[in-house]
Amino acid sequence: MSAFLTYLLSGLSVGASFALIGAGFVVVHRVTHVVNFTQGTFAVLAGWVTASLITNGTPHGLGELIGVIAAGAVGLGVGAVTLARRGTPPFVALLMTLGLSFLGVAVVIALFGDHPAPSVPLVSGIADFLGVRIEWQRLLIIGVALVAFVVIALFFERTDLGRAMTAAASNPRAARLVGISIRRMGLASFTIGGLLGGIAGVLLAPMQQLSAYSDLGLAFSGFAAAVFGGLVSPWLTLLGGLVLGVAGSMLQGYEIGSFQNQLSLVLMVIVMIVRAKALGRQEEAK
Amino acid sequence: MTYTVLNRTIRDRGFAAWWRRWSPAPQIALVGLIAAVIPLLLTEQSLYMKILLAAIVVTGLGLFMGYAGQAALGQGAFVATGALTVAVFSAQWGLPSWLGLVAAPVISGLCAALIGWPLLRLRGHYLAFGTLAVLLLVQLAMQSIPLFGAGQGVVAEPLIDRPDGIRARAWNPILNLVYVYLAVAVLIIVLIMAHRVIASRYGRGIRALAGSESAAASSGVPILGSKLKVFVIAAVFAGAAGGITALWYPYVNQEAFPIADSFGYVIMAVVGGMTSLWGGVVGAAIIVLLLELLNRIATLPGVPEVLAHTMQYAGYGLVLVLVLLFMPKGLMPALAAATQRRRGRGSGHGSGP
Amino acid sequence: MLRITDLVVRYGAATAVDGVSLEIADGEMVALVGPNGAGKSSLVNAVSGLVKPAAGRIEIDGRSAQVPEGRQMFPDLSVDDNLRMGAWRLSRNARDTARIYELLPELVPLRRRRAGLLSGGQQQMVSIGRALMARPELLLVDELSLGLAPLVTEKLVAHLRRINQESGTTILLIEQEVALAFEICARAYVLEAGRVVASGDTATLAGDKALAAIYFGDLSTGAEEDER
Repeated sequence: MSAFLTYLLSGLSVGASFALIGAGFVVVHRVTHVVNFTQGTFAVLAGWVTASLITNGTPHGLGELIGVIAAGAVGLGVGAVTLARRGTPPFVALLMTLGLSFLGVAVVIALFGDHPAPSVPLVSGIADFLGVRIEWQRLLIIGVALVAFVVIALFFERTDLGRAMTAAASNPRAARLVGISIRRMGLASFTIGGLLGGIAGVLLAPMQQLSAYSDLGLAFSGFAAAVFGGLVSPWLTLLGGLVLGVAGSMLQGYEIGSFQNQLSLVLMVIVMIVRAKALGRQEEAK
Repeated sequence: MTYTVLNRTIRDRGFAAWWRRWSPAPQIALVGLIAAVIPLLLTEQSLYMKILLAAIVVTGLGLFMGYAGQAALGQGAFVATGALTVAVFSAQWGLPSWLGLVAAPVISGLCAALIGWPLLRLRGHYLAFGTLAVLLLVQLAMQSIPLFGAGQGVVAEPLIDRPDGIRARAWNPILNLVYVYLAVAVLIIVLIMAHRVIASRYGRGIRALAGSESAAASSGVPILGSKLKVFVIAAVFAGAAGGITALWYPYVNQEAFPIADSFGYVIMAVVGGMTSLWGGVVGAAIIVLLLELLNRIATLPGVPEVLAHTMQYAGYGLVLVLVLLFMPKGLMPALAAATQRRRGRGSGHGSGP
Repeated sequence: MLRITDLVVRYGAATAVDGVSLEIADGEMVALVGPNGAGKSSLVNAVSGLVKPAAGRIEIDGRSAQVPEGRQMFPDLSVDDNLRMGAWRLSRNARDTARIYELLPELVPLRRRRAGLLSGGQQQMVSIGRALMARPELLLVDELSLGLAPLVTEKLVAHLRRINQESGTTILLIEQEVALAFEICARAYVLEAGRVVASGDTATLAGDKALAAIYFGDLSTGAEEDER
């Protein structure tokens, strides 16, 4: 029983980080209709920046903050390049973000090397309750993710910028009439995507071996979580991420094998096919 | 020369018309001739072979991506199935390798038909990730299923056994040349087939798909069926290349078909031009040579080893982003457009309303 | 308030507005009528800054806001949020919606409703409210009556009249429903194929038999209107 709980919590923790990355996909896609392959890159970059700063003396808290902000800035840059040409079809934009993710790998290797980032958890130590032994950092990830999702929901429902981003997505013509700059909303969404990916990376790096090459696996899992929510619903993304994380953790815990990537993609494909009609209608309406 | 797409009459003028009016048969023949001569001038065939094999795959991939307007990020899966066919036929089942070669494209096509039927209902990025999932699953199969080597890999038997009396050192270059000419022959066949698809009424129909699916549907183009056909054709080409791969690099395991290679195919398709017959050849040549160049630079004395990896990724990334920003249709169409402008003729757009 | 001089608007090779000049004084309600494709919407979009003119000048004495053709809601946002977006160009403090609910009390029970779920008439009211949030000196109303029942249109017209009279907001009304336009507005411009073919006060224009025959159908009896 305690083994089960441990795997469950561990899976929830990993799943929460997938959900954060997936939320980044959702925000960017809602506003720009682009699937942003660099969501995983944001996580790796932030994780490395933070780890590198902290091992060189920067205090905790500040190191994490800088890492997340750096990811946000990179997100802004990715958005600027991807949205540079008006009227780029989403298929081309996806390939562009793919190319940028390659550049991201190159940059991370150039700056930090191609080995995994050192582990410097924000909170160290192991929690021990109900027969479960699990690192506090893993529980932290779950907590932060929940808070983040609430903040995202509030942002879109209660702030004018969030409302403007939704407006720009649902009716670009009226948005322009009212003075909302579609391009700026797109850049804002990419920045938020970067911040979300950054949070995931900063929390995940101490727990998981994040190296320059990890971005793709993270992007897969994040995208799979986002697909659960049809690329539009943050809460379903959270659910999807948690399910994915727990499933992978169970497989690994009960020694069936380490199949997180494949599992994510297979579940995602199944969900996509099952929902194909609904998803297709959304695509065609663009 | 005029033709109709979605009820718009398009008049071809200038270079494009001349190019199209001459059936590519002479062009393909010329290129085939050059391709056949090149191996005789080279001391070492591996780079050339890489280009040939990639060109075969990307010609098919370009058809799918350009004409169906869909991205396929995991095309390596079908190269793998082709390679596995040859390897399993000869190593596990004792059948002659040439039989495997013939079966490779067929089996890859069948797999594509099976997978495509549910998968091609997905649009846009969903399809892209779906094909990637297929690749990962094929890798997983190679890693775990004993028939496919369970991670240890399968080694295909050579196409022609070394005759007694000839030493390996003398035989291998001859065998390699055989493989290279095999690849050249397959490339020529693939180009001819691709041209037929492009130029046929069917080809024009699927070109319409790239614009808008509902528009294409309303003008009578059957959507899923058309997409499936191109998908299978692309897989057949990939399978043929895969079969030769199994002979050339005899070791077939999951690491022989990494994701990076599949992304590479996509980049080649983008760079060469997805709507042009020669896009695959051009793109493959450019990217393979570029990577080789970067590799040479990275392995120069004094360059840190880490830089080697960086350069490949940086090269991939920069090329893709720059081409998409400035020549989104790829090199061949950009060249065609440039020469048309220089001739001062219109770009051949509809004369009607 | 609004002076347009020799305006030319092109979409690619097609010329939508071909040298139009018009003038509207402060506080007027002026109509812009003409058949489909005459260039009315293009002209209005140029005034709103959505389209860049190829030639000509547009001078406005203050802010303009458009009530666009087809209502153009933000369907996933509530009525209140739609209104707030109307004031996007203004500072955050200026986005208070109370003013609009005083002007258009029918919107009060609909505050939290998703705009995409409202009826055409309700959406049109939200659209007007959204435009008013920008505190415009000039209101451009594009096809108010499109797809709406006459009773609903009447109510909206009453609101517009009140807004014009109480706040002095200048109104340019683009309408295919010529009879309606002439009823509301004292002056009108007639547009056809991108050019002004007639202008003046509406009483005179309505009475011009030749013009009426070509553009307006039978206005003299008003029988057409009652039948609708």
